[in-house]
Formats: sequence, structure tokens, C-alpha cells
Amino acid sequence: MATLGTFLILAAFVVAAGAFAAGIAGGRRRSLALTDGAVGLSHVLTGLTLVLSSIIVYAFVVGDYSIKYVNSYSDSAMPLFFKLTSYWGGLDGSLLFWVTLLAIFASVAIHVNRERHRLLIPWVVAVIAATQMFFLFLMVIHNNPFETHLFSTPADGRGLNPLLQNFYMIIHPPMLYLGFVGMTIPFAFGLAALITGQLDDSWLRAVRRWTMTSWLFLSLGLALGGLWAYEELGWGGYWGWDPVENAGLLPWFTATAFLHSVMVQERRGMLKVWNVSLVIMTFFLTIFGTFMTRSGIVQSVHAFGEDRELAWMFTVFMIVILTVSFGLVIWRMPLLRARNELDSWASREAAFLANNWILLFSAFFVLFATMFPTISEALRGERLTVGPPFFDKWMLPIGLMLLLLTGIGPLLAWRKSAMSNMLHQFLWPAILGVVTTGVVMYLGANFWAAGLCFGLCAWVFTTIVQEFWRGSGVRQRATGTDRFTAMIGLFARSRRRYAGYIVHLGIVLIFFGFAGNGFKLEEQINLEPGQEVAIGDYVVKYDALKVTNDAQKQMITGHTTVTKEGAALGGMYPARWFFNGREDEPTTEVAIRRGFADDLYIVLAGYELETQRATFEVTVNPLVNWVWFGFGILGIGTILSLLPERAMAYAAAKSPAGAVTTALLMVFALGAFAPHAHAQHVENPQVVLLVPRSPDEKKARENIICMCGTCGRKRVAECTCGTADVMRQEIAALIAEGKSYDDIVDYYVTKYGSQEVLAAPIDKGFNRLAWFLPYAIGALGILVVGGVAVRWTRRGGDTTAPAAPADTAAHQAREARLDDELRDLD
Amino acid sequence: MSKKTVRVSLSALVIVGALSFLMYSSISEGAEYYKYVDEVMAEPAQWEGKRLRVHGYVLGDPLFNPTTLEYRFTIQANGKTVNAMYQGVVPDTFKKDAEVVVKGKLNGDTITVEKDGIMAKCPSRYEADALPAAVR
Repeated sequence: MATLGTFLILAAFVVAAGAFAAGIAGGRRRSLALTDGAVGLSHVLTGLTLVLSSIIVYAFVVGDYSIKYVNSYSDSAMPLFFKLTSYWGGLDGSLLFWVTLLAIFASVAIHVNRERHRLLIPWVVAVIAATQMFFLFLMVIHNNPFETHLFSTPADGRGLNPLLQNFYMIIHPPMLYLGFVGMTIPFAFGLAALITGQLDDSWLRAVRRWTMTSWLFLSLGLALGGLWAYEELGWGGYWGWDPVENAGLLPWFTATAFLHSVMVQERRGMLKVWNVSLVIMTFFLTIFGTFMTRSGIVQSVHAFGEDRELAWMFTVFMIVILTVSFGLVIWRMPLLRARNELDSWASREAAFLANNWILLFSAFFVLFATMFPTISEALRGERLTVGPPFFDKWMLPIGLMLLLLTGIGPLLAWRKSAMSNMLHQFLWPAILGVVTTGVVMYLGANFWAAGLCFGLCAWVFTTIVQEFWRGSGVRQRATGTDRFTAMIGLFARSRRRYAGYIVHLGIVLIFFGFAGNGFKLEEQINLEPGQEVAIGDYVVKYDALKVTNDAQKQMITGHTTVTKEGAALGGMYPARWFFNGREDEPTTEVAIRRGFADDLYIVLAGYELETQRATFEVTVNPLVNWVWFGFGILGIGTILSLLPERAMAYAAAKSPAGAVTTALLMVFALGAFAPHAHAQHVENPQVVLLVPRSPDEKKARENIICMCGTCGRKRVAECTCGTADVMRQEIAALIAEGKSYDDIVDYYVTKYGSQEVLAAPIDKGFNRLAWFLPYAIGALGILVVGGVAVRWTRRGGDTTAPAAPADTAAHQAREARLDDELRDLD
Repeated sequence: MSKKTVRVSLSALVIVGALSFLMYSSISEGAEYYKYVDEVMAEPAQWEGKRLRVHGYVLGDPLFNPTTLEYRFTIQANGKTVNAMYQGVVPDTFKKDAEVVVKGKLNGDTITVEKDGIMAKCPSRYEADALPAAVR
């Protein structure tokens, strides 16, 4: 297996080199045959990398520990899921994963644009192939994931670091990689445009979607990384300005800048040099970020170890990128002249320009501060470091300025905004912003920036609502429908604009969450069993310390009970887990009680088993969940904006007037009737599942669900939260009283007032409908979809049949080209 | 070059210059010197009262007072040692022989570590090379 892998990596390198050469030759000679060859080779490369990935995944699954990489990052006891994801647990596999993703992206991008950007394609292939060659080269000579042990094959692997055995760690790295790797495609198109001189705006249209998709992945990757840190590392925060985190943030800044400035070029033909530079910089920063975290150039607690050789290879590659790309930009400068000039500072392009400068400055600043220790060591021979407070001090005003511009930019007119127009647009947002700031300050914000942040959130939020309201009002009058239908129609008509507002809404929510940081409460305290600590509205009482074991680990759990303003909220169980074989690296298992207003976050920081004393770090994190929620909205907005235009237009055209409103009302109605959450599901690792003593008890446990409301209706027999435990005791008590299964069911149905408590409705009378309905709906759905499909195909046949020309080859080419153009049209 | 180009580049230069100056000046108040124990203790008087990040290894078991959460420990590097005092919660990996970086100020022969100022190297964050000897 390993030999095959090593051989295939070499083969992949050769194929990439072939694609590179064929691409350049095809581009220079304008030879269709050579270009087709290059495209073919790049598809072959995709196939090869997929085979390589399958081999490594297979090695992980079967546990081929003769391969060093498999041996280092997995062991036989790990669940299958983590074995699969160990693929990107270390550097060697990450490189392979990178190349695989890049190859897939390249194949898709080349295929989609093959007709429309015929001239660019050979160069695109060449640039991507060059990047792939670099990573394959690294694998060939430095980090071969298929390297084997020379002498003895270990019986078992070393296992994956327990910190990484977390749900978010499964999806966080691939998300970030998708974002990083995706930025290569815009770069390749940008360079191809520079080389061929095809510098009209058409290359921008090809890359805008790619950049947006990659940007979405990057954003989600950053959010998931934050969520992981928050849940797993136990220091109460989600962002610590660590070099590794910053590496992901740098290209995010420049990509965000690009997504804005690209509009200026599309609309006004300005900022051409700027846009192509942003694309280059974004790509450069993805490589630089990888270099920074992987080569040990930046000292960090989290850096991945020092590696001089790797550092040199990356440096050479980065120098090549910069010289070639900016060399080309300078060479093509005459073609990049702007069509227009800036008319006024009160225009949308000026606001976008300001936004770009700030974003670029943020990237520059973060880069500078992250590299500062290295820079100062090089310049002064003395290692100076800067910490999170320094980042905060700078990024806080920068962030607030960006938030302010988020409200201003979209409302200004292109070219020049008249004073009266600005007053009309900004009066209400400004009033609400100022009032909110005032109210928050009056209510006692201990920190000016938090108050200002709330005010700016209100400001941007009002501008967005106002846009939707006014826009839908206009459309309502024009089309004569109701408000909601008008709003959806508005969306379908200028989707980019309104989807953009939704992304901005996400940003507002994220900042709203950030502002909560200004009200964070923190308490570190050592308690005896029975003692309690008050923090904010919460009182945390420490009950006991318990030690338990399972197959994988030993668990030390602090049992606490929490009350809020006198009302009992239930138990929380912060713990330390000692994984077998890694006893010297306990993991911190944070107990988090999530809420819209705040999170209660308890960490078991220390303990003494003899005395039962324990140290707790209790944090109240206000509004933190809005950050995650905001990222979700941002994702939805981006996806809406990426949806094909036709889908939206079709939906809007076909839906009868009023349908949207009805649908929305139904959703709200369902939401209102949804069962009320009774308590919260809080995992209790100490819950002991006693064996049921009678068949009736077993049956009851399997047919009655946990009523905590948040475990997703688990059966009482399976749920591990405190509520389920109480319910099991209730059932046991009823059984002891001599009640039968039916009596227990009756008891619960009366107690909760409905059959909601049952895993499945009682199978009789009206309830049979509930059993029948899902099948009926499913069958109906199949019928409808089938019917529509038949109708569409028939209609399609009607229109194309008479128009079919005799010359089919030329016709197909034209069709493909038309398809291409339509796909990119928005 | 047109007049406009000159104007634009001049103002860009001024903005960049001003920001760089601001950054540099704020760094000198926010920055910390990153030193190994022996570098600091070679001439302790020179570092008295300055913001430091001191890199070394924990020597012996740290003393811990559970009621006040106070830690007293010694860190060493290249044969020199320095005492450290800390109050609060320490990372999981902080213990005897751990490689740590502490953030704080030097008073005499003791570093007063600031809040959350102890960073212990994550021994095997991702890379197998950094695994503790026992596991390797």
C-alpha cells in the first residue's frame, strides 16, 4: 500500500509537471490540442489524488501502522469517524488533502469555464499545476505521508490527541482548507488574465463566485475554530490572537476587501490594479499563513514545531509568487488603467474604497503584530512580543469603523449622493444608533466601546430593515401583492444586493456578540463541598467530586448545582478527563449552559481528591451565542447570493400571490405550537443506567422520551441527562407500586397533558393518522415531483425540437457556450 | 505622473507613515521582552520592572495553596533559575518539568506573574515529534 502511495505521489508530480508544460505551450502557441492535453492531464491529476486519498484513508481504517503517519495519528481503539478524520491530523496528510482539494477545485473550475474563457484556460491550468507541483514536491522530498517504518512495524498507533477528538475538529480543518485552497482558483484566473492581457471584466465574473464560496468556507472555518476553542480549551473565550488563528484571518480580510471592490470594477471600471493585487495577496496570504504556522518561524504555544528545511522551501515559493505576480501586474499596468475617476467622496465607490483600506490595513496590522517577535529579533537581536491586549487595542476601533461603514456603504449612490438623499437614508438609522448608545451607556456599560458597538449594531440593523421595507413597499405598489411576497420578489430581482444585506445582518449579530465581551464576569475560586459562589445572577453550589472510569479514560467530575435568581436550573458537571496512555495531559471538559442572554461557563481548574476541595473557574459570557448565530446568518446570506439566478427567478415567477405570506405564517404558527422546552439537557457523565427490573419497566423506558426538551427526544433508556435520570426513578417508583406499563403511560400522558411524552403515538383511533400521514406525504411528494418532471421534459422537447439545426457539432459547442455564459450571469 | 497621482500617493504615504508611527509607538508600551531565564538572570537589575515573557522549565513540584490559589515555583533554563509567584488558574500542562513561558515583571529574584500569564507548551498539539518521551 505504502509503496503504491509513494509511487503515485511521484506519478502525480510528473503529471502536474506535464500539465504545467502543456498549459504554457498551449497558451503561447494558442494550440487547442496542447490546451486540451493540459486540461486532460489536470483531470488525470485529480483522479490520482483521489486514489492517493483513498489509499491513506484505507490505511487508517484498516490500521496499517507500518506507515509512520498512520502510526502517529491513530490507534485501533479510536472510533471509525476519528480514524477517517485523522487523515488531516498532521502536516503530511494535510498536504495531501490540500493537493486533492485543489485538484478537484481545478477540475471543476476548468470544466465550468472551458468555453467561456477559452483563452485563459491553458494559463489557468499552468498556474494551478505549478502550485500543485510545489505541494507534491514537498511531499516527495520532505513530508511523504506514505513513509514507512524501516525495521519493525508497531502493533498499534499512538492515537490522536484527545483535544482533537471533538466534533468541531472534524469539520473545522476541512472548512478552513476549502477556504484556503479555493483562493487558488481566483489567483490562477487573475494571473491568466494578466498573461493573456484579457483584462476586461470577464475574468472577474469567473472568479467572483469562487472567491465568495471560498470566503464562505473560510468564515465558517474561523467560526468553527472559535467554537472549538470555546468548548474544548476551557479558557472562557473563543479568539486569542494566536498566530495560528491569525493565519486564517489574514486571507479573510483581503478576500472580504476583494468581494467589495470587485463591485466597483464591475460598475465603474475602477480599481483594476487594486482588484488583481487583492486576488494575488489573498492567495499569497494563504500560503504565507501555512508557512507561518508550519515552519516554526513564529514562536507560539500553538505553533506546530520548527522546521528549517520546510521554511526555506516555502520562502522560495513565496518569493516566486510575489515576483511573478507583481512583475506581471507592473508589465500590464497600461491595460489596467481605470475607465472612470472618483467623482465624489459621498459615493458608494468611495465608501468601498475606505472599507478596502481598512480591511487591508487590518490584514497588514495583524500580519505585522504576528510577525513582530520575528521582526524584532531580526532587527534588534531581541525578541519582543505583543499580546492579545495590543491586538484588541487596535482591532477594536478598526472593527467599529468597519461596522460604521457597513451601514453607510450600501446606502450611498454610485458616483455621487445628493445631500437630501443622504438625509432620507440615514436619518432613522442615525437616531436609533445614537439612542441605543445612550441607553446602553445609561444602563451602565463599564466600557465605552461596548456601548458604541451596540449603537453601531442598531445603526446598521436599521439601515438593513429600512432597505427591505422601502424596497418591498415600492414593489408592493408596483405589483399589487402583499408585503412578504413583495419582499421575496425583491430578493429574486436583485438577489446580490439583498443577499448582501443578509450577510451584513450576520456581521451585525457577530458584533453584537463581540460587544457582550465588555460585560464578561469571571471568578476563580476554591471551594469545599457545600460551599457556593455567586456570579452575576447565578449561584453555583459545589456538591461533590466524583471519580469514574470508562474504557477510554478516567473522569474526575465536579458536581455543581446552579440557581439563577433563586430558581433551580439543575446540575452542571465540569470535568477533567485522563485518557489512557496520555495521563499526563488531562483534557478540560467545560460545562456550558447556553442561553440567548449569556452562557454560564464552568471549568474544573483544580482539585484535591483527599480533601474534596476543588478550584472552579466560573465565567458568565454575555451574548456569546450571537456570534455563532451571526456566522450562521452570514452563511445563509452567502449561499442565497450564490444560488443560480434562474432558480430564484423561477420560484418567484411561479409562486402565486400570497403564497409566501401563507407559508411564512404557517412556519410561525408551527413555531408557536412547538412544545415548550421544560428544562435543558445537560450531559451528566455520572448517570448510572440501572438494569430494568421488569419487562414493563424496560418497555416504559424504551417508549417514553426524555422531557428535558433539548436532547432531541431521546428515549429515557438512552438519555444521559439529569431529567432522564429523574424520570427513570419515577418509572422505577411506579413499577414498585405495582403499576403496569399502561398505567405508567397514563400517568405521563396526564402529567404532561398530551402524548408528547411518548416516543410514538398510541396506535389507535385518530392516532393512526399520524402513522399513516408520513407515508402519504412521501408518496404524494414522489407523484408531484414525477409529474412536474414529466411536464418539464415535454415542454423542453416542444421548444427545442423545431429549432434543432442540422449542424449538430457546431450547435453543441454553441449550446455549451451559452450554458457557460448563463451559469455566470448574475 | 499626473498631478493627481502625486497627490494620491503623497496622502497615501502620509497615512501609512502616520499609522506605522502610531503602531511602533504603541508597540513599545505594549511589547514584552521575550527572554530565557538565563538571559534575564545574567543581569537581573537591567530587567527589574520591565514587562517580560520568560521561557524556561518548571523546576520541581510547584507549591500550591488551595485556598488562595497561590502558586510558588521555580523555573530554570541553561543552569540559571528564577522564582515565580502566581495567583489563579494554571493550564493543564503546567507541572514539574513542563516547558513554560510566564508573563510578568521581575521584582528582585521573583517574577510576579500576571493574571492568566502562564503558558505551558502543549506537548503534542498536533505533531508527533513533540510527544512526551513516555508516549514515544
